[in-house]
Amino acid sequence: MATDSKPAPGFDASKVAEIHQHLHSHLPSESALRVKALETLLVDKGLVNPKTIDAWIEAYTEEIGPRRGAMVVAKAWCDPEYKARLLRDAPSAIDELGFLGKATAHLKVVENTDEVHNLVVCTLCSCYPFSILGIAPPWYKAAAYRSRAVRDPRGVLAEFGLDLDVDIEVHVWDSTAELRYLVLPQRPEGTEDMSEEELAGLVTRNSMIGTDRDLGENIEADG
Amino acid sequence: MDGIHDLGGKEGYGPIEVDEDESPFHEDWEGREWGIAQCARTPGITIDWWRHCRELIMPGDYLGRPYFDSWAQTDFSIYAEAGYFSEEEISAGKSPSKKTDYGKPAVAMTLKQVLQEDHDHAVRFDGEIETPPVFAVGQQVKTSRHGNSGHTRLPQYARDRTGTVHAYHGAHVFPDLSAQGVEIHQHCYSIMFEAAKLWPEAKWSQDKVYLDLFETYLAEV
Repeated sequence: MATDSKPAPGFDASKVAEIHQHLHSHLPSESALRVKALETLLVDKGLVNPKTIDAWIEAYTEEIGPRRGAMVVAKAWCDPEYKARLLRDAPSAIDELGFLGKATAHLKVVENTDEVHNLVVCTLCSCYPFSILGIAPPWYKAAAYRSRAVRDPRGVLAEFGLDLDVDIEVHVWDSTAELRYLVLPQRPEGTEDMSEEELAGLVTRNSMIGTDRDLGENIEADG
Repeated sequence: MDGIHDLGGKEGYGPIEVDEDESPFHEDWEGREWGIAQCARTPGITIDWWRHCRELIMPGDYLGRPYFDSWAQTDFSIYAEAGYFSEEEISAGKSPSKKTDYGKPAVAMTLKQVLQEDHDHAVRFDGEIETPPVFAVGQQVKTSRHGNSGHTRLPQYARDRTGTVHAYHGAHVFPDLSAQGVEIHQHCYSIMFEAAKLWPEAKWSQDKVYLDLFETYLAEV
């Protein structure tokens, strides 16, 4: 084999189905050992550098996470012009804060109002706006949420402790293409004197997915 | 493909396991897999081919194994299908000879470099095409009755249903062909469906479900 030629995918789905059967029988059952085997093979072949893996873990543990989304929301609450830009062209608006990145080039922001509550799901896989919300929570990627969010959104919300008034319409956004969605929650009452940074502290990850709504509860919790 | 991954509206999966722990990774190996998936770059691969390889995981494994475990299995299948890994290597969990066959080994990247790469990896999927969009915002459309037996992004629950064009997104890479390595663009729309038209128990509901659908999934009413 020539040193610089790399194999390419054959896009052969039947072959992949056979490979999965082989993997089912031949990979160790413990997830940690499977991932270790994958990393060992990739490093052996020079395809991946373990230090780069470390750096990606650090990036999504220390730097990139829902705090970014919360800062976007707080800025939108404080600055009506920023909010208008965010609703019109979210990728540019989040890039003003340096948050454009993985899976957010086609971001759409959907705004909660007194009449509408938004909820985001990916029924076909687990699409998520990584560069502003970080790693998706386990429940977002699980079959229970993916199956029920489109069919029983109010039942799902109730399990998150949110009993939505019947007069409020639920709009569910199923990310079936490369668009990604961020919910803009409502600014709680009684927060007029709070700074943008304090406001960001009220914004929960779940409120930006839509499984949380009433952020005023967090003010009382903070005393 | 009418696979196990197409979960929207399926019943029997029970209550949501609401987890208060917001740490990104709950086990070390989950972080390792996340990192592997970010830095492994197979030439010629598309995101849709990767998604299709995940959909092809055996149903029991797809539902029963942890989430990032399914990413690892998808990566294994991608590399094996392309010819990077042999079955023997997979079974052994290591490469028999540590010789690098594929050019220079991957270099170590720093935190600063991967953060820059994350920013640079804001991949756009839209492009110019010559034909104008067939449907207009506000127009009623009907979705196809059947899916594509390969990769497709029209879920079963929204097939053979009438909806309204809510927005036009431009022409985006068409996933059904991208999963076969062919990149063409096709008009993509946000389609609004009344929950009442999707679910028998939602007859009186005012709720709505929005999906982003490609033009060839749609027909005029």
